[in-house]
Amino acid sequence: MPAVSICTDPFVLTAQAMARSYGFPGFEYLSIPHPVASLTAEQIRDRVRDFMPDLLRILGVE
Amino acid sequence: MTTASNLPGPPAAALNLPGPPAAALNLPGPPAAASQAGVADPSLTEDSAAVRRAIEYYADQGWTDGLPVVPVTESYLAEFLAQTDRDPADVLLAMPHLNRECTVRLAAINAALAGCRPEYLPVVLAAWESLAAEGYATRAIWQSTTGTAPFLIVNGPVCERIGLNSKGNVFGSGFRANATIGRAIRLGVINAFGLRPRELDQATQGTPAKYTACMAENEEESPWAPLHVEFGLDPADSAVTALTIRSTLHVEARHTQMPEQLATDIGGTISRTGALVHETTSALLVLSPEHARLFHNAGWSKEDVRQYLYENAVRTPAELAAAGKDALSSRTRWRLPSDHPDAQPGSAVNGDVPVRMLNSPAAVLIVVAGAGNAGVSAIVETMGPRGGPPPVTKVHMAP
Repeated sequence: MPAVSICTDPFVLTAQAMARSYGFPGFEYLSIPHPVASLTAEQIRDRVRDFMPDLLRILGVE
Repeated sequence: MTTASNLPGPPAAALNLPGPPAAALNLPGPPAAASQAGVADPSLTEDSAAVRRAIEYYADQGWTDGLPVVPVTESYLAEFLAQTDRDPADVLLAMPHLNRECTVRLAAINAALAGCRPEYLPVVLAAWESLAAEGYATRAIWQSTTGTAPFLIVNGPVCERIGLNSKGNVFGSGFRANATIGRAIRLGVINAFGLRPRELDQATQGTPAKYTACMAENEEESPWAPLHVEFGLDPADSAVTALTIRSTLHVEARHTQMPEQLATDIGGTISRTGALVHETTSALLVLSPEHARLFHNAGWSKEDVRQYLYENAVRTPAELAAAGKDALSSRTRWRLPSDHPDAQPGSAVNGDVPVRMLNSPAAVLIVVAGAGNAGVSAIVETMGPRGGPPPVTKVHMAP
């Protein structure tokens, strides 16, 4: 099943290291601004609205 | 009086070989002698350029914790492997999600790098086994933003045999076995599993204990059974108990002879709100001999101390609400404010009934360590156990 992994910017280096250790050095993550844990529900909705085009692009949706 | 420190700089003094009493007591010598401390006799350092090249090589490979390591050759490694009858290929701890494992051979290489003597290896191997049994490491805790460290408690006759410190400055520097056994584990984490900071190790800040954290219990000055005996081993056995820890906090309590006051002071240290990610916390209580005797002389057992802490390590609902930690997430069970959309209905605390910050008396482990010179103890904040027994693991000495 097609999937996209989402992480916040500070986790990109680790995410890339994990991808390398699994043999997928070019694996593309969707990276979004930090933090998430302390956001309100409304701020979370804004985040999702903002990143949706990028997410669809990585998924390959035309 | 003649002492090594005022002789005109013989090589033996520079190398810190045992000297006459004044030198053994580390009395400050004249400045000229102090400026020679750490400088070796030229006859010992003919190959110093080669030593420095090796140190730089290891640093360039990323095989260090930032401090220099001891270069390891196959012949030096063989001295370590001779200390165990285990197969070098035996797996001590595996992390399938990284496709990496720590074998006996890798544990031995990193013990040698860390500066261990070969005879420390059985303790290092037991430490790895204990970490595997504890379970946090295999659940990727060493990659977590929390930034924990592996913390080792060693019990039994092996401590005296290899010179593990259990007394003054027990968490501090100055003792080779403590310093290098703890470091052997951390170097293994870096080299066997590739958990380098800012790559696969995502610690936000980490802890100074990530350089090394290994202590022995001061069984001699404890009024109670030592940790390994409490959990079923024989006093003649040696054992390592590995815990995943966050902070080490001082408890300064030189003011009282009342066990309730001392235990309340300790409980207040355990129950700080900053410790709370989850609903409750857990702790290793490292009592100084003075504090342990205070409890013992008042007739308290370890179990009595644990029970008192369970009942008195508390926060009021108002204190938890003020810190925004008065409810639990319905998904993660982490603490959050009661008005958070993820707050589980009914999880918010209110009223005047204090909330327990430990889920059971067993959430506190107790050992005795340090010098018998002051009312200073420590809370070591652990990631567990919160009910189950700790991973007390027997040390197998080579036949």
